[in-house]
Amino acid sequence: MVEDKENVAVVGQEQVSKKAAKKQAKAAKKAEQKAETATTVAADGSAGDNAVDTAVGLYGVSELIQSKDKRTERNFVDVHELSNHVGKGLVWVRGRVHTSRAKGKQCFLVLRQQSSTVQCILAVGDVVSKQMVKFAGNIPRESIIDIQAKPVSVPNKIESCTEQLLELCIEQIFVISQAKAQLPLQIEDAARPENPDDVESLNIRVNQDTRLDNRVLDLRTPANQAIFRLEAGVCRLFRDILTEKGFTEIHTPKIISAASEGGANVFTVSYFKDSAYLAQSPQLYKQMAIAADFDKVFTVGAVFRAEDSNTHRHLTEFVGLDLEMAFKYHYHEVLHTIGNTFTAIFKGLRDKYSREIEAVGQQYRVEPFKFLEPPLILQFSEGVAMLREAGVETGDEEDLSTPNEKLLGRLVKAKYDTDFYILDKFPLAIRPFYTMPDPNNPIYSNSYDMFMRGEEILSGAQRIHDPEYLIERAKHHGIDISKIAAYIESFRYGCPPHAGGGIGMERVVMLYLGLDNIRKTSMFPRDPKRLTP
Amino acid sequence: MYELKTLLPQFDIKLPNCMYELKNVSLAANTVANKANAAVTTSGVSRRRKYGNNIFKTKSATCALDLDILGRQIQQLLKEDDSAAAVAQRQAKVLQQLEELKAQMTKIRSNLGLCGKTVQHTTAYQNGGLREEPLHDIVINGHPNFIPYALLALKNAWRNLFTIDVKTFTHSTMADIGPAAREFEANLAKLPINESKPKINVTLIWKNCEHTEMISSPTMYVPIYGEVNIIRYLGRVGPAEYRYESSPLCNEIDAVLDICYQLLRCATHKSQVAMVRLLDRRLQQQQYFGGAEMSVADIGVYSSLIRMPAITDKDLTPALLAWRKRARLITQI
Repeated sequence: MVEDKENVAVVGQEQVSKKAAKKQAKAAKKAEQKAETATTVAADGSAGDNAVDTAVGLYGVSELIQSKDKRTERNFVDVHELSNHVGKGLVWVRGRVHTSRAKGKQCFLVLRQQSSTVQCILAVGDVVSKQMVKFAGNIPRESIIDIQAKPVSVPNKIESCTEQLLELCIEQIFVISQAKAQLPLQIEDAARPENPDDVESLNIRVNQDTRLDNRVLDLRTPANQAIFRLEAGVCRLFRDILTEKGFTEIHTPKIISAASEGGANVFTVSYFKDSAYLAQSPQLYKQMAIAADFDKVFTVGAVFRAEDSNTHRHLTEFVGLDLEMAFKYHYHEVLHTIGNTFTAIFKGLRDKYSREIEAVGQQYRVEPFKFLEPPLILQFSEGVAMLREAGVETGDEEDLSTPNEKLLGRLVKAKYDTDFYILDKFPLAIRPFYTMPDPNNPIYSNSYDMFMRGEEILSGAQRIHDPEYLIERAKHHGIDISKIAAYIESFRYGCPPHAGGGIGMERVVMLYLGLDNIRKTSMFPRDPKRLTP
Repeated sequence: MYELKTLLPQFDIKLPNCMYELKNVSLAANTVANKANAAVTTSGVSRRRKYGNNIFKTKSATCALDLDILGRQIQQLLKEDDSAAAVAQRQAKVLQQLEELKAQMTKIRSNLGLCGKTVQHTTAYQNGGLREEPLHDIVINGHPNFIPYALLALKNAWRNLFTIDVKTFTHSTMADIGPAAREFEANLAKLPINESKPKINVTLIWKNCEHTEMISSPTMYVPIYGEVNIIRYLGRVGPAEYRYESSPLCNEIDAVLDICYQLLRCATHKSQVAMVRLLDRRLQQQQYFGGAEMSVADIGVYSSLIRMPAITDKDLTPALLAWRKRARLITQI
């Protein structure tokens, strides 16, 4: 193998033309010269270092941390807690070099820890040597450093940092993990506020693909930090609120034998000698859990959709927050439970995540999310009437088109000033076969959609729990009964009436924050054109 | 001199045969026409011109409307028995045709299974002929510190006439609505919805807003500000007994409501008392503001006084106190 490679290389060299050879020679000469100057500079530098370095051992590149020492004597403090340590002596802080700027005998360095930043200063003096200042000025951005410093209060507010009332006077500085000198994107550019109205502001942006290609760097911006902390909040609130309401969390399989919804747009995976599908929705399993007497269940998990739609709101893999609930007599019991869950999530976000919402707001200017308590419930027919009043022609049994959906959202916002509302009683004709028809009016059904900022986030219904009626409805829709035999079979041993629905976590976060692209709220998004990172 | 050619060619105008020839009605004209009849040709154009002249002449001769002449004209017409008989015949025929049409319509209606009642024209008979859009629902935004008590007062006062279906919501800008607003909500919910009465849906949203405002349609975003103006609006769409625009008390009611509006904006106790005195002068010894019947003015005053806890019974006159007692029976707040 090795010999083969060498042969190839030799052949390659022989093929180099005369011109190229000349070029190579020139390049080699240049490199030689460069190396020469470099060594002289290095020699000068080292000579200077040797001359008067009083701070040896107080700075440098730390050896690779392999968990050799515990160093429990080092008392680390978080950046956002530094204000409690002003004037109380030295503290240790670990963070990233956000920016560093050395000039003459001083070096200003902004240290960043997640979303918090603090200004640090090194000035040549009793402890700090000239070489140490130079070293600090040369640490590449985004490197992780440990510093020992004294927090002191400053007379003037430091506008560029989150800790505006203090700065750190560094006495020791060690590089823990060095970043490459060249970054594919600058955090400052990625974090720059978007305000199209301001023409004079610096207009350097990082485009979405560059961000996603270098997601690790991109995620370090304050807005992204906030987005994903808030996303975690959505999940946590969903779990906590439903658990409190007596729901049980279940986990459903993601590799399934048959397509659950419709049959199109499923991913096929090879399954030993056979093939299987990736689950499009946990609905079937939620319903089986209901039939198995779990009464109220929810699940949080990945959902796959093989839709080749490249829009701002479609992903091929997303996190589904699904719930299903048995009820006594009327599916509104479930509707109100879901609606109230949303309101509780919104309230929780408003009250507990105001810092994150503000941080996102600093980069993307959006209106705060508004909602009503209890949630506004409109009938589908009322929605159609509102659209007609606004001059849109739409049929009674026609599904809402995306523009109509958005318009209705704006109308509801204008009238009720809410970004969240529920549309109840959709026409039966536009819902899946398992939807329970409305007993009072044959053209409507016991189904509902929920909307945030005029975009649908949840679609749910009372499901038919009677196998015979289910077969009748499936036949009416022209569905092959043999393909859904297992689904129908699960209702043969008695099943309580139930209803439910599911939401996409990324979409909810996107719409709650008013962002324009779902890729901003998926940490590592998957869409028809992106499988990495 | 040049000879002038006529621009229009001479041609006969043939009148369509679907038109009736009008008999000249005026007496003077008749005589003239009778005379002229002998000499004049039958051309319609020339006759019409002649009639025009005749009318002009009679106008200049006699006054335009003289009862004597009119009476004589009618007599003359009736004497000409042949034409009167023709008109009567035609009328009979038309009536018969109408009868047939009606029979046809009822047949069609019975075939379609519709009820035999005639359509009721209930809208706008009191509104000077203005077309009145039926209001299905309105949105009222209110701050929990400025509770629109009028809504509850109207709901209670109209309990046997009109249903106000109020649904309450809390907007996300309000963290807590406070006990007073919660009690108000509970009181609103106490009165059951009577579906048989005409109904208006009200969505009351507790919101961090400056004014109490009302929005009727999202497409025509013209909010109505102030509780008093919302009362006026509801007074227009509510039961006929409370519509005051065509009543002689209209100005009085408006004046009282204006005082309420000012009262709600008074910052000092002194100015509030001054407004109360104004109200007292309006009330005098009447049962209610503007007379013996309860009106929207009473609702406005009653609600405004609740919203002014600084105004105690001490500040009210005996007449106002007595009025308040009477009003409480109806508003039940």
